[in-house]
Amino acid sequence: MDYSETAQRISRKFSQKNQTVDVLKIEGKLRRLVDEFGVLPSEAERSVTNELLKEFNLPVVTSSGGSGPGGATEQKKIADAIPGDWVTIEARVVSLSTPASAAIAQSGILADESGEIRFVVWAKANAPAMAEGLWYRIESAVVDEYRGIPSLKVHSGTTIKELGTANPLIPVPAQVIDLHTGVGSVRAKVVQEWDVTHERMLQQGLLADETGTIKFVLWKEPGKERLEIGSVYSIFYALVDEYNSRLSLNLSTATLMQEEGDMPTISGGDVAIRGAIVHIAPGSGIIKRCPVEGCNRALSRQNYCPIHEIQPKFVYDLRIKGWLDDGEKTHNILLQRDVVESLTKIPLDAAVQIAENNPLGMDEVFLRMRDALLGRYVICRGREIDNRLLVNSCERLTFESGEHSALLNRAGGAS
Amino acid sequence: MSMNAREVGKKDAPFEREPARRVFAAELRECRYQFKEGEEEKSPTFVLLPTGERSNRIYLVGTLTEKQRQGEQNLFYRGRVVDPTGTFFVMAGSYQPEAMQQIAKIETPAFVAVVGKPNLYQKDPASSPLVSVRIESINVVDKETRDLWVLDTAARTLDRIDAHAKGEGKDIEKAKEQYPTLDPAVFKKMAYEALAQIRI
Repeated sequence: MDYSETAQRISRKFSQKNQTVDVLKIEGKLRRLVDEFGVLPSEAERSVTNELLKEFNLPVVTSSGGSGPGGATEQKKIADAIPGDWVTIEARVVSLSTPASAAIAQSGILADESGEIRFVVWAKANAPAMAEGLWYRIESAVVDEYRGIPSLKVHSGTTIKELGTANPLIPVPAQVIDLHTGVGSVRAKVVQEWDVTHERMLQQGLLADETGTIKFVLWKEPGKERLEIGSVYSIFYALVDEYNSRLSLNLSTATLMQEEGDMPTISGGDVAIRGAIVHIAPGSGIIKRCPVEGCNRALSRQNYCPIHEIQPKFVYDLRIKGWLDDGEKTHNILLQRDVVESLTKIPLDAAVQIAENNPLGMDEVFLRMRDALLGRYVICRGREIDNRLLVNSCERLTFESGEHSALLNRAGGAS
Repeated sequence: MSMNAREVGKKDAPFEREPARRVFAAELRECRYQFKEGEEEKSPTFVLLPTGERSNRIYLVGTLTEKQRQGEQNLFYRGRVVDPTGTFFVMAGSYQPEAMQQIAKIETPAFVAVVGKPNLYQKDPASSPLVSVRIESINVVDKETRDLWVLDTAARTLDRIDAHAKGEGKDIEKAKEQYPTLDPAVFKKMAYEALAQIRI
């Protein structure tokens, strides 16, 4: 095993605090801990780091007494704090969220004039509870990284003092394209709503402005309400995460302000795509939707809505999800009921009859629609956002003899 | 949507489904070279078309003239799908249960649309490689769909021949290297003959 990378990392940490350490010596210590004593590499790194912190008389995270502000702690603006720093900051608690674990007493977002940062107060820190909206002086906290995102950790060596200031701090909403992992504020429009994929999820969908689109997620928590599709919101202090190399906005911590009026979004123009339907995805055909006002989610086979649970008085609907392929690119398509009816010539009431009277039930509708559409040439018109084409109209292509003769000329022309 | 600063340094691009290329049987038959992009086990495999484009998936429409059930433990179907230029060899095994069910109930002859993955294989080391298409889906269609496919495939083939002549495209050089004796002009003639077979 190679320890040089870990040793370098430890060395960097100390050089940021103006201390020089012997990398080879660290490497030797790590090797000894892991190879001879079977210590986990992460634990070895921690143990070597703590040993050095003690050596330089710097505060150690795990020590219970709390060594107070160490010599290397600097007062910083949030924007200047980088992972590995021991810092003292003066900041406002702009958001508190429900801690994800019992080991955490408080979590949320701190902000000053320069920027925002996520923070965590360990339960072991025995720190006084901070209140949303107030300013605090936080002495000797540690900036580290969680999933590549900086986060301020309040531990037992940190002291927290409330400041009397009442500077309200109003962040300027950014554009979607400028968001980056961490914390962000943005003004955007809700352009799509997707089925929720987790029972604790309240809503997910897509936000857009003129510069781009971003996925958003809202978790079920007291006081949280669903966003209205088509509305514009100013969103302050949302968590910006990254999954599968795409950014996503978690609105749990955010303050949301619904705004009057409309705003232009990136996909403005309609597109028309000619191609072959090369796949009809599961979940196409006849589906059941949740009847609760404003919900309309697709129900599972057991009539289970992820939010409203069992709904025996479901509403039937038709939809097709699939892939439309023009030979150069494959487009994810979504067809709503009216488009499905006109394309398949199976109206909803006929589909309900099939589903309720056929031994295969709803699968029979899927199979009939698949056999009617798969492998066929169509032209779909609609709006394409984030690689998904929301189809407004779709029709079968027909043979054009003009196109035929033009191609004959082209193929025969130069030979 | 344009690429922007935050995309820089990203390891994985967001998922993009490989497009289904349009290719006549007579061109697919000439394929001798396949390659993998990337090192991972699930990296896609591409068959290089002689006109200079990679294909991980193809979409074809033709007449299913024969189908054959084979194997005992590992049941699979083989079929022949004929277009105006030649024959595609298609197959569906137990890893494609949906495709197997679909082909099982089709009565030959019938116009079919097939989406599938082309693969090169050799019967024995001495023979030249053959191309077969592993079916993802197969579905009975009408004659008009077949005719539309011939138009579409002729247009795409001519586009590839033009790009080949201009040297535009990332796989053209590779194609010239791998198929030094193939003149793309033969595929232009092939496209013409395919178009000429459609009665107006």
